[in-house]
Amino acid sequence: MKKSSYIQLVLITATLASCNQSKKNDWDDNAKVHIRSDSTAPYTRVHHHGGMGVGTALLWYYAFRPYGNYNNGTYQRAGYYSSAIHPNSNVGTNGFKGAVTRGGFGRSGFSVSS
Amino acid sequence: MQRIKITPRNNWQTEVEKLGFGFHTTNIPYWDESVYYQFNMPEILAIEKATAELYDCCLGAVQHVMDQGLYAKFNIPAWAIPMIERSWTEDHPAIYGRFDLCYKDGQIKMLEFNADTPTSLYEAGIVQWFWLKDFDKDKDQFNSVHEKLIEYWKYLKNYLNAGPLYFTCLKETLEDLTNTEYLRDCAIQAGLETKLIFIDDIGWDSENREFLDLENQPIKNIFKLYPWEWLLSESFGKNMLEDKNKALWIEPAWKMILSNKAILPILWELYPNCPYLLPAYFEEGKLSNYVKKPILSREGANIDLVMKNMGIAKTEGQYGAEGFIYQELFTLPNFSDYYPVIGSWVIGQEPAGMGIREAESLITDNKSRFVPHLIG
Repeated sequence: MKKSSYIQLVLITATLASCNQSKKNDWDDNAKVHIRSDSTAPYTRVHHHGGMGVGTALLWYYAFRPYGNYNNGTYQRAGYYSSAIHPNSNVGTNGFKGAVTRGGFGRSGFSVSS
Repeated sequence: MQRIKITPRNNWQTEVEKLGFGFHTTNIPYWDESVYYQFNMPEILAIEKATAELYDCCLGAVQHVMDQGLYAKFNIPAWAIPMIERSWTEDHPAIYGRFDLCYKDGQIKMLEFNADTPTSLYEAGIVQWFWLKDFDKDKDQFNSVHEKLIEYWKYLKNYLNAGPLYFTCLKETLEDLTNTEYLRDCAIQAGLETKLIFIDDIGWDSENREFLDLENQPIKNIFKLYPWEWLLSESFGKNMLEDKNKALWIEPAWKMILSNKAILPILWELYPNCPYLLPAYFEEGKLSNYVKKPILSREGANIDLVMKNMGIAKTEGQYGAEGFIYQELFTLPNFSDYYPVIGSWVIGQEPAGMGIREAESLITDNKSRFVPHLIG
């Protein structure tokens, strides 16, 4: 036989399928937005390309995600960052952020589909 | 090889969604079970043999590129060369790749090798396997993707750095996420500790010179569904050289040689007698029937098909700035105006199965559909 005899999946479930929700394209092409990840970082202009696909990605892009450290078993939030904005606006410093920057990968495309 | 029309399962959308396959239809159908391809066993064995031989040729070609220092032909920046060569000489873990093959008139020809970020793994390994279970469970299929993935993750476990194996991809694409999570699923079943982190969530600690996850834990092993040429061009790219943990990136850096279409003329130069290779050149004018391909491109973009020096098909796109290669034209077989390309998987250095994408034109682009197959 050339096929697998038995297949079990332990991670991928209908949860993934539930991600496949259509997203509203509510981006205004003329909008000029300056934004920063949190109050420790400088503002920069958000650039976008509008059009098909990009607008629908904004709901994903504009999630500002907290990040932080575990210290003696306690989580301490260092700040927020977002891939929607320029790296300069993710790099503000405070005592928890230290020298960590984010957003330095992930800007070259919207899918690797090949 | 036959194309056979059938009636899809009544509830096929529900069935595939139960598997976590959420991108079966976008604005156009992608998964298509109104048809399947039937192969006989000698045809499957021929595809398997071709895949194994081509993979051997590819490994030889990588060594040749390094020995001769041909990186400029691949538009690979000089600063990345030490990283590429280290990943090769230290035999960093590699898990998979997919040859795109044309099977026509008893001949098998390699069109390209998706060696770095191949997708459609989930469709090939899982979705069509469960389709066959419903359609005719006693029939066979060229598909040991799942068990080979688990076995190879088990094997690689001993070659990873201490700590979890991270999996990363872009965050706004369900297709990429599904392929990545499927690979992680198999790694979990192989007993590996894993974590998912989206590519733009990866942190860089400029004081300690290391990549970090969202909890500021060091990343020492990472599978990335994200092309090397993109990594290199981004602001964290050069940090990989400074990484104090020397994180293992999977696929390894040497795969950027094979995923680049500049490998096609190199392969032809090295192995002109290989029955699975098409003549290919860096120079225009050596062929009158050819395909002009950008050395870096995705989903059939910026392809020109030329016959007797006249264009017969063309796709638009944003690629080509890095240069082109010219490959002899070997058109896909025509099944009632449907043109299938075979994606033949290599997992853990071995042929592991195949998936078929079918287009309505000679160029397989992002509107092609995935159709299942069986061995009849």
